Amino acid sequence: MHPETFLRVLGPVPWRVAYVQPSRRPADGRFGENPNRLFKHHQFQVVLKPAPDEAQDLYLESLEACGIKPGAHDIRFEEDNWEAPTLGAWGVGWQVMLDGLEITQFTYFQQAGGQELSPITAELTYGLERIAMHLQHVDNVFDLEWAPGVKYGAVRQQEEVEQSRYAFGHVDMPSDKFSSFHRDLFDRYYEFAQTLLESRLVFPALDYCLKCSHVFNLLDASGGIGVTERTAYVLRVRRLAVAIAKAYVGVDESVESKDD
Amino acid sequence: MTKELLLEIGCEELPASWLPSLTLQLSTRLRDRLQEMRLEPRELPLVFSTPRRLVATIPDLETSQHDLEESLTGPPVSAGYDSDGTPTSAAIGFARKHGVDVSDLSEVVTPKGRYLAFQKRHVQRSASEVLPAVLAATLRDLMFPKQMRWDAWLDDGRGEFLFGRPIRWLVFLLGGEVVPFIIKRADAAECADVKEIKASNITYGHRFIGQVQPGPEITVGSFTEYRAQLADRGVVLSRVERADIIEKGLVERASAHGGTIDSEAAAQSALLEEIPDLVECPNVISGSFSEEFLTLPPEILKTTMIHHQHFVPVVGKNHKLKSMFLAVTNTSSANADRVANNASRVLAARLRDARFFWDADRKVKLETRLDRLDTLLFHKNLGSYKDKTVRMEELSVWIAEEVLQKPNIAKDVATAARLSKTDLTTEMVGEFPELQGVMGGIYAREEGQSEQTWRTIYHHYLPVGPEEGARPTRAELGSAGLVWVAVALADKLDTIVGMFSAGERPTGSRDPFGLRRQAHGLFKILIDLPDLADVTVRPSISELIVAAHGLFTAAGHSKELPEAMQDFLIERLQHVLQQRGYDIRNVRAVTKSLRSNIKPLDALRKLEVLPEFTESTDFQQLAVAFKRVRNIACELPDAEFELAERDDPDLRKLLNEDAECHLLQELEQRGPIINNVITAGEDYRTGFAEAARFGPVVDQFFSEVFVMVDDVALRRARLRLVKRLERLILELADISEVVPGDDT
Repeated sequence: MHPETFLRVLGPVPWRVAYVQPSRRPADGRFGENPNRLFKHHQFQVVLKPAPDEAQDLYLESLEACGIKPGAHDIRFEEDNWEAPTLGAWGVGWQVMLDGLEITQFTYFQQAGGQELSPITAELTYGLERIAMHLQHVDNVFDLEWAPGVKYGAVRQQEEVEQSRYAFGHVDMPSDKFSSFHRDLFDRYYEFAQTLLESRLVFPALDYCLKCSHVFNLLDASGGIGVTERTAYVLRVRRLAVAIAKAYVGVDESVESKDD
Repeated sequence: MTKELLLEIGCEELPASWLPSLTLQLSTRLRDRLQEMRLEPRELPLVFSTPRRLVATIPDLETSQHDLEESLTGPPVSAGYDSDGTPTSAAIGFARKHGVDVSDLSEVVTPKGRYLAFQKRHVQRSASEVLPAVLAATLRDLMFPKQMRWDAWLDDGRGEFLFGRPIRWLVFLLGGEVVPFIIKRADAAECADVKEIKASNITYGHRFIGQVQPGPEITVGSFTEYRAQLADRGVVLSRVERADIIEKGLVERASAHGGTIDSEAAAQSALLEEIPDLVECPNVISGSFSEEFLTLPPEILKTTMIHHQHFVPVVGKNHKLKSMFLAVTNTSSANADRVANNASRVLAARLRDARFFWDADRKVKLETRLDRLDTLLFHKNLGSYKDKTVRMEELSVWIAEEVLQKPNIAKDVATAARLSKTDLTTEMVGEFPELQGVMGGIYAREEGQSEQTWRTIYHHYLPVGPEEGARPTRAELGSAGLVWVAVALADKLDTIVGMFSAGERPTGSRDPFGLRRQAHGLFKILIDLPDLADVTVRPSISELIVAAHGLFTAAGHSKELPEAMQDFLIERLQHVLQQRGYDIRNVRAVTKSLRSNIKPLDALRKLEVLPEFTESTDFQQLAVAFKRVRNIACELPDAEFELAERDDPDLRKLLNEDAECHLLQELEQRGPIINNVITAGEDYRTGFAEAARFGPVVDQFFSEVFVMVDDVALRRARLRLVKRLERLILELADISEVVPGDDT
């Protein structure tokens, strides 16, 4: 999760930001063969802190600005709560459905890095590929027009194939070595994140925390960890995220150096 | 005087599944809070809900509080005045406490004597003065499965105000006049974009329907007006009306396409229950998908439509799925074609996904998935899912061979048990967890496994409820009935016994591993065995759990059977039998037994005939006497009894009174008949009839024979006689539980 969201939702300072973020989910990699599912897709993130009373209306107006006239469609806010266990973050909200298509996750953040939030932030996560497919009447993501005359597939398909192969461990390396290499990476990123944190470098520490989170996702996708171990990894990353969040809001607490 | 009360809590979309409970809560909590404030509503408030509003109205609320005169008792009169009649400090203090003079006090006579008292008249306050506190308390009372913080505060001394979703407006009217009420906002949030919510007479209609210039606000006065205005703006306030519109729409649309809605699938998923709470303005549309997807298993098509899209599948006259769906939208019909078109595209994308999983999953045989299954944890003390299936395989084969006496099915049982959980590693179950078991069955079928095997895997998580009609049906099981019984029993026994051994057990409302449901499934199978699998065996609870437990002790768990499990199982069996409509007292009678080897099927058969006897005089006589029998039988320890019975079986020579000889004779005559019934497990009618005939003899015994005589040998002989009787009757039931005609 981006620092503009994860860190800025903490503490009392009002914050409004919007940015495009690539989202990488190793387990969703489909070797560029699935028309809807991607190792990497793009989200347009909007953070509104404090959450304005008119957040839903503003959101609907933003759809209109994209060329989707809300009154001409079946738009629903269906219960869907968001949670990122590795980051100690969760919120309540909806998936926004456009004629049955989930186009946005709308969340009122309740906690981040294990910290209760005040004020509450509204986070809108627009699924850009989904919305573009709707607007362009395209059924296969790789057929999207990325730029005039250039298809999404031309820009992204090769990456999808290669990233999926990597994510599922199709690498010229024995699988035990593949997984031990990533475990090692995880430990080193983790350790360095702690060093950064002890040096009061919160933003860089979060970068390394996110690297840990990603390496963990890769290990998970490639089948390199069992369930019990999985829980332990989740807790470790979470502990780091909590320490970072505390450091950001100025709760003075040294990071535990042991993973007991 | 009375006036109409109208409350509307305007919310951002509340989860559909919460609405039924919230609506009910609003009604009862508002009533209770009004009563507490002495504004007795004549009836429960009328309540309504849509995803965006919770509404309550009372047509005739009193406009002021009821009178209340309260008598507050003070010190005794004797302590209130000294000998010359001057008020003491006790009397003065009491008067001061209530802000009055001693001369304002009166006297009351109580059983303890005369006391000083103050008749406090509560000031009648007007309803509009009291209602803000009523609303605050009611809002605080509403319970949500998950509540959220949204920077809101109430001025009721309790500070931050959590709710299910943010409240955006409040209509709060008494006789058309706004009752002042404010939801404040946290200091951290309050700004131009985050404002207080003030009660008003302004509501809002459907988000997108019927908006007219200059804005979306609708001013309302009365409930009738409110409802009519909302109807103009696309909101059907009544859930019943919405459900009606939806049902008619679905039926019409389906029949227009020569089909009917797949009501079985829809009912199983509670889809039709949920839809009315998802929309304010229901409108049924139909869409279609490419016929090529009909080659996918119908289970996948249905799950995709129902669980992921809230679409309703349609079946043709042949009961086969048609390549179409129905959906209920929250828009006016003007948009129907566009929405249907888009919805069809969304479904097609989902189905392409499903086909991708379908093709990918079938490339890996279930048998080779066992390695991956070993990485899926079942429970930290009980190993992986692979470990579980290894245990299940052994247990289910034992059930097939030893319990069901069908060694010829052992091979299918072993295969089905071993593969039963492998679908947890498939992409399809990863995507559709509700298809666990079902997908394993389908993939097993595709791999060419026998019908017994694949149907067993398919249904092995069932039954989930104890009801007689709970799935699977005989037809669904096909030829797999016996194999299924072995594997489904083994799965449930392994989970229950394993979890209890690992120290996990349900407490109160917490049952994270669903053990109660597992037990209900277990007993449902055991009592419906003849119907499900055409077998006449009547396994006891204890033989099954001992066998299941053996597999855990082999793996190093404690050799002791978890004690709490026995009580848990008996309690669950009682619940299941009660669910079948049997009287709880009779249920207790047949599930309390001297030995712990209760056979659930026997318990059911006893219950079927027991009510025929409970009203007869003889039986009642025995029921009353049996309590005494049980009490006296306690005097002779079991071990001592058994030893004596073995070493010196002839009681007759030790007894002398007529009544006791008579009882012994009856025991020797009726005992074998009753024992035959127990062994055969049928004709309990004869068994209970024989037992009832003991009534007069036992009565005579107790009125003429004194058991606890000083003569040790005679006393022991009499105790043995009583204990023989106790043991015999207990084989049928603890009939001391059956006291007819006493409903309290």
